[in-house]
Amino acid sequence: MMLWAYFYCYQLTLDSYKKVESATGSEVPTVVYHEKANQILQANTLAINEGIECGHGLAQAAALCPQVHILEYNRDAEKETLLSLANRLYPLASDIVIDSHNAIAIRLDNLLQYYGNLEALWRVLFDEITIAGIHFYFSTAWGVEAARLLAKNKTNKCTDKKETITLLLSGCRLEQTELDAKTIATLAKVGVRQIGQLLKLPVHELGQRFSNDTIRYLTALRGETFPQYVLFRPSISFQQTKTLSFEVENTQHLLPSIKALLQSLEHYLRARNLLSSSILFQVHFREEEPLPIEVNGAMPFATQKDWLVLVELKVETLLLPEPAIAVSLTCQQFEPIENDGNDFFSHRFTTVAQKQLIGRLKAKLGDGSTLHPKAGDSHTFEGMTVNHIEETSPSYASDITPAFLFCEPMPLHLSTRICFGPIRIQTEWWSNNPSKKDYFIAETSHGVRLLVFKDAKAHWWTQGLYS
Amino acid sequence: MKLPTSPLNNAQSKAAIFDKHPQIWRAREKPLSENKFSLGVSALDEALHGGIVTSGVVRVGSLTGIGEITLFKQVLAAPRTHKLRVFIKPPAQLQAPWLSALGLTLDQIIVVLPKTDKEALWAAEQCLKSTACHCVLLWNNTMDAKAARRLQVAASHNDSLCLLFTSPDQQAISFPISLDLNLQIRDSKLMVNIVKQRHGWPVSNIEISHSWTPSNHTIQWAMQNNKEATPSLHSVI
Repeated sequence: MMLWAYFYCYQLTLDSYKKVESATGSEVPTVVYHEKANQILQANTLAINEGIECGHGLAQAAALCPQVHILEYNRDAEKETLLSLANRLYPLASDIVIDSHNAIAIRLDNLLQYYGNLEALWRVLFDEITIAGIHFYFSTAWGVEAARLLAKNKTNKCTDKKETITLLLSGCRLEQTELDAKTIATLAKVGVRQIGQLLKLPVHELGQRFSNDTIRYLTALRGETFPQYVLFRPSISFQQTKTLSFEVENTQHLLPSIKALLQSLEHYLRARNLLSSSILFQVHFREEEPLPIEVNGAMPFATQKDWLVLVELKVETLLLPEPAIAVSLTCQQFEPIENDGNDFFSHRFTTVAQKQLIGRLKAKLGDGSTLHPKAGDSHTFEGMTVNHIEETSPSYASDITPAFLFCEPMPLHLSTRICFGPIRIQTEWWSNNPSKKDYFIAETSHGVRLLVFKDAKAHWWTQGLYS
Repeated sequence: MKLPTSPLNNAQSKAAIFDKHPQIWRAREKPLSENKFSLGVSALDEALHGGIVTSGVVRVGSLTGIGEITLFKQVLAAPRTHKLRVFIKPPAQLQAPWLSALGLTLDQIIVVLPKTDKEALWAAEQCLKSTACHCVLLWNNTMDAKAARRLQVAASHNDSLCLLFTSPDQQAISFPISLDLNLQIRDSKLMVNIVKQRHGWPVSNIEISHSWTPSNHTIQWAMQNNKEATPSLHSVI
């Protein structure tokens, strides 16, 4: 059985806006508005909390929440975001289908032999799209049609069991399919309202009454025929445009967008083992012709770091004739990496291997078993390390942190010698459980160094180890 | 016509084959020049003929908390910076600021917390085989020679390093691995015993002055040296 996964990205405009916005600060209620249809198409959580729903008109939205931030809906921009996502996924999965402007389908069954099992493969794909900051509904089925129907129905299940998929499919309503309104109305007259009922009817019976398109769609839904799809292929040259979230007059404000573009160029080049010595930026305006900025390196580079040094110099001297609205980056000349005596294996591109490894570990040992420690925004020993992926807020560095911290402090019974301290941490005095602790580093008779503390009642506790 | 070969000749030719075999090392030979990671401690680097191997398993028998990871600071932080460092089943919660202070990039750290030792071995082998890891740090006290051999093969074939931390009493059993070290603290000095090393002799009692925590030394020094001096600050003339 073929197995396809379908990702329906329902708020691409909002997601790509959020990526820019999260760098600059606080969130505001934001909606995406389709001018021609006079409809709100996407709304963020804050806007939904204000009572705005998708499908509302502009007046209704503005009445519910006067300070709502409105983004213009642009199909092409969504497609662009989707393509960059496809570029990101391409090293991980081979058969990718771009389905309309906001959905992606990936064939899974032929990848299973590389990833071992479905779970591991699924983890890798799921994590990659989540890290890209894109929200989506997903589903798996034996064909693109069936998977699309399930994903748009917000199934959010990954399974390769035929019975489960059949069961899920048969519960879908006819209105959610791509059958035209006339067919649906005709079927409703004879009491067929759900897919399950329709799929039970023999095809030759339906063939006498409905058009070829309907039959073609139904057989594809059943997984009996497989319509041809154009698979995604990354383009030969690199070309990416970034729309600025506000009109930029100061050239320094272009740099974050330029950095993001260079980052994706770096990914592009590393994945193909290429370098480039010449790149071209174009700054776009409302009225004026685009302003080209050509940057040439003395030697071929790939990394963002190398390019950024040169680009910053160029941007410093730049004069903008009017506020800029977008920046694009084109790179057409590539050079292969010359192997000048470096050990080929020690510099092998390992990102994909890393992702596969993490996917495999999570699949076998469970989600909670693999942690990425990050510095937390607390100065207490308990809060210095956080183990989940999130945008890091200010974090504290400290040179007296132990290597290991016990989950709970333990009473100190050993005789020890103090070799460092005290450091007093008095905190939470504004809440119900104030704490006042004097921390020391103590050494036992075996030379083991412990983090110990004396609490307000002069009891001694041990809390960590220095390795 | 075939001449009958004498058994003596036969034995000699076999010995000659062994003589040429690149994997067989004799104690009378000089240590092979291999790629090594220097530990940054001259006495220890000398005894190890340049440092520890770049790929393979290194067993470290020590108590937890005597600076056993800090000893490998340079090996962990400096080479193969684009690859991961994986901590499997650490004895307690690993602290991010300590890792940063050690010179590691937090993005490249993964902590794996398997439920059983068997799962830990599986995870270690997967990490070593993945080619994405520079170094795997594994805490395990129940390993046998067969499992150690598996890890040694996985590590040396994929150019990665495995540091295996065990308690000192586990070291009675010899493992087919690259290097076996024993660490202990004596008179506030770190004593390193090389229990076994490939292509070299064991060395005992290498004494290293080792500091892995901040100390009150500076304050004590200042207090002792400033005792006699008359306080000039704030004093009325």
